[in-house]
Amino acid sequence: MKRLRTTFLLPAALAAACMLSAVPAMSQDSVSLPNLSYRTGPFAATGIPLMNGQRDYMMMLNERDGGVNGVKLGYEECETGYSTEKGVECYEKTKATGIVTQPWSTGITLQVLPKSNVDKIPILAPGYGFSPMADGKVFQWAFNPPASYWDGASMILTNISDGNLDNLKGKKIVLLHLDHPYGKEPIPLLEVLAEKHGFTLLPIPVGLKEMQNQSAQWLQIRREKPDFVVMWGWGAMNAGALTEAAKTRFPMDKFVGIWWSGHDGDMKSVGEAGKGYRSISWSVPVSDSPVMQDIKKYVLDPKKTEIGEGEFDWVFYQRGVLISMFTVEAIKAAQEHFNTKVVNAEQLRWGFENLKINDAKLAEIGMTGMIAPFSTSCADHSGHAGGWMLEWDGAKFVKVSDLLQADQGVIAPLVEAEAKKYAEANAPWPINEDCKM
Amino acid sequence: MLYRTAGQFKTSYAADHALFPVRQDAWLLGVILLFAFVIFPLTASEFTFKALLTPVLIYSLAALGLNILTGYAGQLSLGTGAFMGVGAYACFKLITIFPEMNVLVAILLSGFFSAAIGVAFGLPSLRIKGFYLAIATLAAQFFLIWLFEKWAWLCNYSSSGSIQVPTVEMFGTPVFGPNALAIVQYYFVLGIVTLITIAAINITRGRIGRMWKAVRDMDIAAELVGINLMKAKLSAFAVSSYVVGVSGALFVFLWRGAAEPIAFDIGLSFRVLFIAIIGGLGSVLGNFLGAILIVALPVILNTLPATFGVPISSAMVEHLNTMIVGALIIAILVIEPHGLARFWQIVREKLIMWPFPH
Amino acid sequence: MDFVNSVFVKPFADMVAAPDFFLQVLWEGLVAGVLYALIALGFVLIYKSSRIFNFAQGIMVVFAALTLVGLHEKGVPALLALPLTLFVMYLLAVAVERVVLRPLINQPDMILFMATIGITLFLIGFGEIIFGGENKVMITEALYIPTGSFEFEPFGGFLLIEQKDLTAGIGAGVLVGVLLLFLNKSRIGRAIRALGDDHQAALSVGISLSTIWVIVWFIAGVIALATGIVWGARAGVSFALEVIAYKALPVLMLGGLESVTGAIVGGLAIGILEKLFEIYWGQPLLGGNTETWFAFVLALIVLLFRPQGLFGERIIERV
Repeated sequence: MKRLRTTFLLPAALAAACMLSAVPAMSQDSVSLPNLSYRTGPFAATGIPLMNGQRDYMMMLNERDGGVNGVKLGYEECETGYSTEKGVECYEKTKATGIVTQPWSTGITLQVLPKSNVDKIPILAPGYGFSPMADGKVFQWAFNPPASYWDGASMILTNISDGNLDNLKGKKIVLLHLDHPYGKEPIPLLEVLAEKHGFTLLPIPVGLKEMQNQSAQWLQIRREKPDFVVMWGWGAMNAGALTEAAKTRFPMDKFVGIWWSGHDGDMKSVGEAGKGYRSISWSVPVSDSPVMQDIKKYVLDPKKTEIGEGEFDWVFYQRGVLISMFTVEAIKAAQEHFNTKVVNAEQLRWGFENLKINDAKLAEIGMTGMIAPFSTSCADHSGHAGGWMLEWDGAKFVKVSDLLQADQGVIAPLVEAEAKKYAEANAPWPINEDCKM
Repeated sequence: MLYRTAGQFKTSYAADHALFPVRQDAWLLGVILLFAFVIFPLTASEFTFKALLTPVLIYSLAALGLNILTGYAGQLSLGTGAFMGVGAYACFKLITIFPEMNVLVAILLSGFFSAAIGVAFGLPSLRIKGFYLAIATLAAQFFLIWLFEKWAWLCNYSSSGSIQVPTVEMFGTPVFGPNALAIVQYYFVLGIVTLITIAAINITRGRIGRMWKAVRDMDIAAELVGINLMKAKLSAFAVSSYVVGVSGALFVFLWRGAAEPIAFDIGLSFRVLFIAIIGGLGSVLGNFLGAILIVALPVILNTLPATFGVPISSAMVEHLNTMIVGALIIAILVIEPHGLARFWQIVREKLIMWPFPH
Repeated sequence: MDFVNSVFVKPFADMVAAPDFFLQVLWEGLVAGVLYALIALGFVLIYKSSRIFNFAQGIMVVFAALTLVGLHEKGVPALLALPLTLFVMYLLAVAVERVVLRPLINQPDMILFMATIGITLFLIGFGEIIFGGENKVMITEALYIPTGSFEFEPFGGFLLIEQKDLTAGIGAGVLVGVLLLFLNKSRIGRAIRALGDDHQAALSVGISLSTIWVIVWFIAGVIALATGIVWGARAGVSFALEVIAYKALPVLMLGGLESVTGAIVGGLAIGILEKLFEIYWGQPLLGGNTETWFAFVLALIVLLFRPQGLFGERIIERV
């Protein structure tokens, strides 16, 4: 009996306890906005500022305005440590009450993507995830505003070719990428572009265990003598690549990263040596913008939360703020449209489909200049906002380009084709036929 | 008292070697099965299925596979994760190439692929022993992961390089994919795990199992009494990899729903090894106890602070969790190096003796 | 024919055609090899004296480096932080001996191996609570490690040798030298070796098992700190560094678990060979990133011919 008690009754009791905990009492005027955060694990360094920014914006709204139209924002984190296995656990745990899922890792995104149709919870994957998710007809519940990786790749090429991709003819471009679904994202688009515009694309993978030891990759780069190196790096890989690039004297002005490779924390260890390195970004840190000052006033100064030294000015912290803004704006849109206070997951989905982030809106919420205007629709779940080049000046990232736009002429057919391929591979897959462009 | 053996007389050799020498053992198992087949499904929420019950079963199965190799045949392997990957990829290719195939058949077939790979990587065991062999199995681990990453054919050239589980039905009920109900998947997994566990108990108690144990205890001595070492070791690798492969297919198709190559990384191998060792090497029961501890306990620990309203950040819980699991492993090894299964044995002996200590 | 050419002829032609690049590859391989050798050395020392396959060596590297950087961040001058870190590593050695090793005396190897994985998990959780998950910068300048580089122009090409890599190589050499001297000449060193040969015999001549274990784990801690400084100077200090433990395993297979010479030779050999293979065969023929498995497969092949590794003690089995 004793044995029975310890082995079975105890777990059973605990299981019962967690069933209860998974369904906490919902008060009338709050919404549960879970976030599958990663403040631990190998990518913690990049995760922490992003999560802090997200948390602090929501907290600021709760403090300043009492939430959104009187509805408190219940921001909660479920820690995954970027592990896909914890991702399942967190998704199952939060889906009972949460009205949105933020999966963060590409691996977790791919896991929850098919479930979103069944569980009817929108996935918000801002600037990451699976590029074809932009196709709202196929991926009804997934959103990757304001721009997909393919948009990013296109913007980078536009910038390095001075606006005309034909200038790249005969050039050699290395894609230094993490050997992981995330790192492989831009390859389909880059291959199409390479064929169309006559440049050579050479993908060089960096294994997860080689992130900090990239000498082989950079020796290859030295041998191949590419005209440009484009980086799809993450976490410790960024600092490793920058260190090696500086060491092998690769010209920094020929080295460009995607938005997740432009992290102040990574660059800190490279310092002066990384001067001239650029990264495309759909967000720009504007520390004296009204919203950031409000965060300072309502959240940071009263010491409601703590962030690292200098983190306030970081690209990633302020990007976190913008990511929370997407959710909040979607809630606002849904509240107005459905004329309700507490929105549910389905209503929020409508909100994400009808994001209208224009200049007037940005001025209203005090974010002028932090992000390019964009809007989503039922067919376009990304918005394809433009981005800017940020350059590392040795101490911080500064904006060095005008607003760049991705070439939708190339991306749109590819998105449609890949989305179709995905739907076919996962048939039967529901497709929103009502949705016209 | 509950375990009083008075009145249970054994009158034949066969009775003495029965699976349940004490009647109460059989009753206890009956109660456990009742819980697994009836009570849990009736009471569990979807979260409990997805985060506790199904993964515990799948991990138990993987640990059982490893235990056959390490606990029964004495060959230490650190490549379990990769062999699970082989099973998963094989199952994926099978159901995409032959969409008509019954899912149960696909899952059971996929084990044969990992068994073949397992035998190939088991060949060095004929010459290499102990830790050297353990590191040699790491060659399998890292090479196979690299292969999954590079060989795009394996994931049907999907642009993300990962495998996605489509919806597949069996007898009109979706079993794989997003539309499958958690309870259906649980029963499916439970059925396969029960089936393989029964098979494993029989194999390990039979001629082959004794051959393995002889090799484990001392391979030269085993060879001298006429055991074919090659046959014994390779059959252990084959059976073990088969079970591990099936568990890998279940892992992706009935639990995760999608998998990238990195999901089968060395970390997975270590987790399965933990389960086998904490549970108890050379024991079937141990795998289940170990899986409950290693897989379910962190999930439960994660929910505790929220349940009791302790204001602690989710990241902190995760840090503490890692620490607790590490400390627990050390503590269990210190208290009972032979694992939870032995611990249960001791408790059982005490219960049989109770209330007289001698 | 094309295939034969690209496997057996072209790589060598490439090497000859660009000798400066070849030298650079060799140098990079050598530097990596020094690091592998250092980590492997930590493993070997502990295995030799206690038959424990210490998986926690990787996390000890991270822990030592983070302690050093963390202390410096708190305002402790670098040259004081260094001995303080060593003291922390000493405390860790004492704790490990008291809490883990002593109760587990005489247990099978597997159990001890698992226990070191337990230590690893515990230290990961503990370290993340104390130091946080951010990537930290190694205090290279404060430790007076030169950061410039030498450039040579052999054969009209270009060869770049970083001073900190050079320092690392020399430092590692000195460390290994001192260690060998210590093991071979000092009383304690002899005691360690005696313990490695036979526990019971060593105990019977009055060698204290627990003292020696603390000393050995402390030496492993010193080596971990050295490794941490060198790797940290290359790519920053974070928990992602922990994976380097895996890099040492094939070195151990190749060199033999008990051999200090094996660890050094094996480390250098694997460092150079895997770099050469990756550059001249892996990248052009196999899609790159072969470094994750090359060393293991190489070691596996060697083991098939020498089951005890290149320098390991001959395995004699008795029934």
